[in-house]
Amino acid sequence: MSGTSAGSVELGERLAGLVEGTVKRSYGDVTVDVPAARWVEAVTAARDELGLTFFDWLSAVDELAGGFSVVCHLADPVGPAHLLVRTRVPAAEPALATVTGVFRGASWHERETFEMFGIDFVGHPALLPLLLPAGFEGRPLRKDFVLAARAAKAWPGGKEPGEADGDAAPSRRRTQPPGVPDPAVWGPR
Amino acid sequence: MTEFPPLPPLPPRSRGSIALLEESCTSCMLCARECPDWCITIDSHTEGVPTGTAATATTGARLRTRNVLDRFAIDYSLCMYCGICVDVCPFDALFWSPELVRAGFDIRDLDYQRDRLGALLPGVPPPPAVDPGAEEPKELAAARRRLQEG
Repeated sequence: MSGTSAGSVELGERLAGLVEGTVKRSYGDVTVDVPAARWVEAVTAARDELGLTFFDWLSAVDELAGGFSVVCHLADPVGPAHLLVRTRVPAAEPALATVTGVFRGASWHERETFEMFGIDFVGHPALLPLLLPAGFEGRPLRKDFVLAARAAKAWPGGKEPGEADGDAAPSRRRTQPPGVPDPAVWGPR
Repeated sequence: MTEFPPLPPLPPRSRGSIALLEESCTSCMLCARECPDWCITIDSHTEGVPTGTAATATTGARLRTRNVLDRFAIDYSLCMYCGICVDVCPFDALFWSPELVRAGFDIRDLDYQRDRLGALLPGVPPPPAVDPGAEEPKELAAARRRLQEG
């Protein structure tokens, strides 16, 4: 499934025409962005009109202030054609209609996306946590989720050359670990 | 210790483990800072280097200093074998070794200190030959110059 097949581009254009979407090509994949209101319609059309009958996966991306992108990958089980169908839900109270009515196999994926990102899939028959232990608090794949291991352990790169544990001058400005936000602004929003 | 069967020959560039050549390490901390899962720990201290000239003693010029490595550890229970530390090391002190990190009875056995990291060195293959017509390695040119100077 590497490289953009001409068939995928053509299918993307057709799907975009059916549900007022826009086609984007990136890194060898064709992505169709569709309005959230027409999400179920778009997935149904991809299955019934375009022949993308294999549901591969569904997940989400935390776009911070931009909300959440919900993406699903659909493929033609025979040919090389495959498409990413994507929509956007708001950051406050994110919700989207379920596609379990179109692909029953989407159930687990939606349960996982629900527990990891807190996106409500309206109409899902049993939207229960799938992987996380009972009573787990928080949405681990949101970008504002505090990774306990990064808070519990001191960064080994914080020392300067010629320095061992505990012999640092406390006044000196420490190098901060890359990718870990400033503790002052780090936490639930 | 558990006995393990001998390894079959591994393909070139296999990622077995990361070995440390202590003599090349300057404790610059670059690998520890680049490591995405924080598995490299380095402790070091600074020592003055005698310059061999009387000038420093008499004029009170600042002593040259260098960093001395006290502790270098890679925690293989955390390492994900990405090799960023090997790539980022500016002094070629870290190498891919075909030796595998073996299972242990205690997770602390996987925190390799510098003696065990050094023991992984003998398996490290020699670097690939330079391309034909490429510039000669600087070490060779320097060694030849020293020889000629006597």
